[in-house]
Amino acid sequence: MTDGQRSPTIDGQIVVSGLTKQYKNVRAVNNLSFTVAPGRVTGFLGPNGAGKTTTLRMLLNLVTPTAGTATISGHRYTDLTDPLRHVGAVLEASSAHKGRTGINHLRVICAAAGLPKQRADEALALVGLTPAAKRKFKGYSLGMKQRLGIAAAMLGNPRVLILDEPANGLDPEGIRWMRGFLKNLAHEGRTVLVSSHLLSEMQLLADDVVIIAAGQLVRQGPVDQVLGSMAQSARVRVRTPQAEALIAALKAQSATVDTDEQGTLLVAGVDAPTIGRAALAAGVELHELTTERPDLERVFLELTAGKAGIR
Amino acid sequence: MNLVRAELLKIRTTSTWWWLALGAFLSIVLAFAFNAWYAVTVLGGDGGDVGASPEQSTPAAQAANLYTSGQYLGLMFVMLIGILMVTNEFFHQTATTTFLTTPRRTSVIVGKLLAASVLGFIFWLATTLIDLAAGSIFLSLNDYGAQLGEWPVQRALLFNLLAYAIWTILGVGIGTLITNQLGAVITAAVLYLVGTQVVGLLFLLLSNVLDSEAVLKWQVVWPAVASQVMITEGTSEFTPSWWVGALVLIGYALVSGVVGVLITRRRDIA
Repeated sequence: MTDGQRSPTIDGQIVVSGLTKQYKNVRAVNNLSFTVAPGRVTGFLGPNGAGKTTTLRMLLNLVTPTAGTATISGHRYTDLTDPLRHVGAVLEASSAHKGRTGINHLRVICAAAGLPKQRADEALALVGLTPAAKRKFKGYSLGMKQRLGIAAAMLGNPRVLILDEPANGLDPEGIRWMRGFLKNLAHEGRTVLVSSHLLSEMQLLADDVVIIAAGQLVRQGPVDQVLGSMAQSARVRVRTPQAEALIAALKAQSATVDTDEQGTLLVAGVDAPTIGRAALAAGVELHELTTERPDLERVFLELTAGKAGIR
Repeated sequence: MNLVRAELLKIRTTSTWWWLALGAFLSIVLAFAFNAWYAVTVLGGDGGDVGASPEQSTPAAQAANLYTSGQYLGLMFVMLIGILMVTNEFFHQTATTTFLTTPRRTSVIVGKLLAASVLGFIFWLATTLIDLAAGSIFLSLNDYGAQLGEWPVQRALLFNLLAYAIWTILGVGIGTLITNQLGAVITAAVLYLVGTQVVGLLFLLLSNVLDSEAVLKWQVVWPAVASQVMITEGTSEFTPSWWVGALVLIGYALVSGVVGVLITRRRDIA
């Protein structure tokens, strides 16, 4: 069941290979391939409409691919025996019957999956929802719905976690809880694949990223590496009352200098120490000297520029 | 088996079934009152005035009719339960969770069909117990006896059970065809309630045009008519034999079950 993979199957590894989904008028996902490693949190990033949700749904056999395969631990989702004991997924926050209580929602899943009933109570406790167990779903806040979704995913104590925009609707406290929760799961050796468009959050959470745009892979790898690949475009912000003199000194170092509306210099091509030395040598007074660390947001916007938007 | 349990748990943990049961109970009360009046009229010798054939004018036939009181609307309510078992999944977006838990979709639909039959059985049992209690008292008071030893009565009760099971299954089939909850419920209820009259009228027109009363028997192709025919003793100029109704209903159940499975297997859950 390796579907022509070169590498041997790794337990907990997700392999997406040549995945394509053609809808009537749009190719939502186009020949997409990437892998997700166990023991790490992988951020699955892309602009709205990039095909993230469609990809995750193909991975879980909810949507049939036009071409290609997606496997978890070497098996298609449909072929997993006891899927809930292997994979937990959180796809929509609002996926429970409005008139059913939270605990009963989980018990229904336990009954269908052949899991013992008390797993429902344990999973609710795990996400801190025990006080709301007997409240009906329609009375839940968005954050509580997200937690219930995670509880449902954890029922089978799965090896692999797949979450689609789990931070949606969470308050700052909830987001911090989620971050700790997912990182902890990865530390336990589980595979955690999280789609999101909250890039600052992803920078704090993810070990690896897979970036797609317009249904195609843009970049994949460890966060540091993806950021590092853009490091040459790192810039240094400099504020000085003697801009003219400094620009002349920096041009001599073959740096490129832009000036923004506030008169702050944005220097590329040289690092901060070089600028500091040049300023000292030229006798220029400095008020600010800051390296703009390339953050995920900037890298993401540069990588997906021109590929985003409505297709 | 887990799936049937899960489906029944889904029904038990919401309040919908309660409302439908209440509706079914009210329809039993109304239908029983009407059937009691009808039985008195027919057994009093005025059966010709209300279109009953001699075969249908026996105490046993009338007892069968009484013991299946509330079937007309009761069947609609179990059909609605069947519809809701499927459309709820889409309305509340639980289809995702359901198919994640059980990726083999045929099993999910078969589970729903089995659970639907169980529910149909429970509704039949409750309806029949009420009807038996009220009916035997009524018949005894009118000196006809309970008639429970008569085969036509027993047959009517058994085939009424079949009707309840089949209509719930039919509801599941309709739900897979029309996943929009409101659309499915309204379509099915209108077809059931109004459709039967329309079909009746159409066949009446047709029989006038063709100058043949035999055509009227073909109303049995309409499922609601079929289940009436199935539990009715004897034939009249309007009704063919019971087994024709039974075959038509089983045919509908088979087709809707198979179509439901095929459609659900192919559907993208987005």
